[in-house]
Amino acid sequence: MSSLRDRERHRGGHRRRDLLRGLGCVGLVGLAGLAGAAPAAAAPPAGRRRGASSAGPTLALIGAEIHVGDGTVIKDGTVILQGERIIAVGDASLRGSLAADAARVDLKGKLLTPGLIAADSHLGLVEIGMEPGTRDDTGGEGPIRASYDAASAIRARSSLIQVQAIEGITSAAVAPSGGLLSGLVAWVDLARGDDGALPTRPRIAVGGSLGQVVDGSRAATLAKLRRVIDDARLYRKQRGAHERRQLRDLAAHPRDLEALFPALDRKVPLTLRAQGESDIVAALELAREEKLRIVIIGGTEAWRVRDRLAEASVPVILQPSENLPGSLDRLGARLDNAALLDAAGVEVGIAVLGEAHNLRNATQEAGIAVANGLPYERAITGMSLTIARAYGLEADYGTISAGKIANLVTWGGDPLELEHFAAQVYVRGAPIPMVSRQTLLRERYRDLEAIRRRGR
Amino acid sequence: MTLLGRRAAAPGTRGRGWTESWGRVALCGILGTLGPVGALGCRGKATTPPEGASSDPVRASALPPTGGDSKTKKGKVDGPREVPVILLRGGRVMTAAGEIFESGDVLLKDGAIAAVGGSIEAPAGATVLDVAGKTITPGIIDTHSHMGVYSSPGFKAHSDGNEAVAPNTAYARSVDGYWPQDPQLERARAGGVTTAQILPGSANLIGGRSFVVRLIPWARSAEDARFEGAPEGLKMACGENPKRVYGEKSGPQTRMGNVHGYRDAFQKAVEYRRGWAKYEKAKKKADADRKKGVSASPGGGKEEAPADPPARDFGLETLVKVLDGEILVHNHCYRADEMSLMLDLAATYGFKIRSFHHAVEAYKIADRLADADTAASVWADWWGFKAEAFDGIRENAALLEAAGARAIIHSDSAIGIQRLNQEAGKAMYAGRSAGLEISENQALRWITYNPAWALGVEDRTGTLEVGKLADVVVWSGSPFSVYAAAEQVYIAGELVYERGSHEPRSDFELGFREGDIGGDAEGVAP
Repeated sequence: MSSLRDRERHRGGHRRRDLLRGLGCVGLVGLAGLAGAAPAAAAPPAGRRRGASSAGPTLALIGAEIHVGDGTVIKDGTVILQGERIIAVGDASLRGSLAADAARVDLKGKLLTPGLIAADSHLGLVEIGMEPGTRDDTGGEGPIRASYDAASAIRARSSLIQVQAIEGITSAAVAPSGGLLSGLVAWVDLARGDDGALPTRPRIAVGGSLGQVVDGSRAATLAKLRRVIDDARLYRKQRGAHERRQLRDLAAHPRDLEALFPALDRKVPLTLRAQGESDIVAALELAREEKLRIVIIGGTEAWRVRDRLAEASVPVILQPSENLPGSLDRLGARLDNAALLDAAGVEVGIAVLGEAHNLRNATQEAGIAVANGLPYERAITGMSLTIARAYGLEADYGTISAGKIANLVTWGGDPLELEHFAAQVYVRGAPIPMVSRQTLLRERYRDLEAIRRRGR
Repeated sequence: MTLLGRRAAAPGTRGRGWTESWGRVALCGILGTLGPVGALGCRGKATTPPEGASSDPVRASALPPTGGDSKTKKGKVDGPREVPVILLRGGRVMTAAGEIFESGDVLLKDGAIAAVGGSIEAPAGATVLDVAGKTITPGIIDTHSHMGVYSSPGFKAHSDGNEAVAPNTAYARSVDGYWPQDPQLERARAGGVTTAQILPGSANLIGGRSFVVRLIPWARSAEDARFEGAPEGLKMACGENPKRVYGEKSGPQTRMGNVHGYRDAFQKAVEYRRGWAKYEKAKKKADADRKKGVSASPGGGKEEAPADPPARDFGLETLVKVLDGEILVHNHCYRADEMSLMLDLAATYGFKIRSFHHAVEAYKIADRLADADTAASVWADWWGFKAEAFDGIRENAALLEAAGARAIIHSDSAIGIQRLNQEAGKAMYAGRSAGLEISENQALRWITYNPAWALGVEDRTGTLEVGKLADVVVWSGSPFSVYAAAEQVYIAGELVYERGSHEPRSDFELGFREGDIGGDAEGVAP
């Protein structure tokens, strides 16, 4: 067992005592009974969650092979949830402390992983790709739209959310696209609360893209980014001068400059879509000089500069199947990008990028990375902890650890294998209904004979 | 020809922009900026067919050869290349013809499959390869690819798939736009693909003729790659794409306009055929009269020489071949209601739709597709990128199979084509997960026999059966596993790919790879 989990278990100790006191009053609940039920506990907005987490029903998930998400595996494991949080994680011995009539779900023969996390997605911002009226992933003119706040446009009732959720995606970083600085990234958990809203944490990152974004030129794009960062610092220091019109013209609207302040303070990362070697190198230099926390998204040629990425502790979130030399900055595309980066010590996140409809295929992408040399547990980590860490939310997400939000997935077998689908998904401690618009369509048309008979 | 006469203004001024919003989903079929590609043949004389030659436009075999026409070359498929006799021994043999040998052998000889079974004696001189623990399948076949006409890198100059100058470009042929050095081809080959249909895009109601390629690494021209004898296809497109591309030009603007476009085109084809039939009849009569000696008295002035033949129209000629069943219709069409409509329209004009493509709502009319014997080429899980794709479900292929229809997993993507085996696996397991019984043999047929049927080459490839072309893949394990890799790929008995040791590369990437300069240019592709 890793030292990380030991630490976290220790941290969850007091909650466990609360649990043991409360267990006696909870009846035995099987998975089947839970599966059809509405989420048991309304997910309160993220801001209130800590206060609420010590209350709520408790549940013990028992017997699964737990892939913790940090590389460790617990055979015949035990996970105890209370409300929205995980309060204890351990092996079979942890069950000794459970009351005889504690709520349990028997997961013998199943695997348990952290909920998978979608990175740089458009979930909730897009319903139908080619219908502009259903898209809010991009907006505004010009390359600098840093104040475009994804959280303000997310549609909690998007049909796409449940399609991803029932296949194991429990959280998504929702990012705007377009321009050089596209806007502010939001984090959502994929289950609606009683108020119909998704638990959302806004402004977790500033998202942008390098490449030929400004004036069709890489150099112009980078120059613009540096000017914007300079002016953000200047405006911050001399706001009064700006308001008195005693400051030079700024490279962007003050709102867009303000939106960068948390990134300049390293409180949130700047996530940069970059494919080619030169753009990645430029991003590393910028991060060093400006003391920014950056994340490389895409990173088609990241393997070429893997040692520098490792040295700078910059994570790369990539989509392993991308191996086409689709443009000059992707001529180095290769299927073992993830494996090469990992071997060099770079943290590698795995996701279906810039997408919303098939984020669920992250598991296949992870499988492709493993088939091309990435160690198996790294692939699990790549879909969970690495992404949580890249966005700075590893205290709450990314592993099955005491104290973290209880986003969990049970699987009938290896989740990377095409054969296995999520058996049950838990978001913020509650089993979600394993139903989507797609499963409803399937059932409606399953029996065409009957439709014929009805004359439909 | 009237549609062609209304040449749209400034084709392609919107460039790739109008589809970049699709992000990485590489539905390049509707992409494109286009310089007009010559509609005529590419080989010298072929561009000027002899006027009034005693040809019958109704039958392809009677036509004067035009560059790229099928059936213009005689002889052995892929030419007389010398290949060794190879016995693959002791693998799990999935024939896609029903039988699976848990431990079996396959004998590759003279480009064909010479034997398949539990245990085959090695002929003298055969190379015996122990493939215990591996799985042997037929070569994978994709009914829907734009490799070579939307190549990688996606240079403007590589946009050769949509002749988006008019909604009906039945005269256009993908063979004339095909670049055999597209680096996507070698990646598809590494995924076990041996045969693919190269389609024009879906900007047009009638985009033109497709052709079928073999993924051989030595093609220096499109004709080198052509699957000899394979019928050509006709690309048609329903729904959103044509009306989006032409809605602000000459139209169609609506689905109403789309359907009028198909009807108008086929009506003109019927009339064109009638005109030629009339001419042929008159000519025959004149010939017969002449033979009878009537013409011996040229000064008599009683008999009339046949009128000049009708002007040859390459677009209408294509459609006539469709009416006669020589060219197979491949119809990009998503929605169940539109597919139903197209089946009716085809029946009205007396042609068959061989396969719908994309067909994300095929599961809603699986019974009708089965009745019509029309295949559906579908994705495992793509959906929602446009309104007509909104009702996609994972169980599409499985529900088609359950209804007795012919399901095909296709790619329409140079990424997807690299692992059609996995896509078939996803579709199979999704079906099973929903309680539908789908066998491995059935799922394998979604990417082998069924596409072979859709392309009209099911008697030549698509299964491991004696006498068929030796198109064979040796996989590291179950082809339905995410971890499986194609280790050896054979096309007509010739090893065209071996993982780690023989990975032929296109010209384009030469010099860009690690080790190419100052290293080993023949090195294995990463």
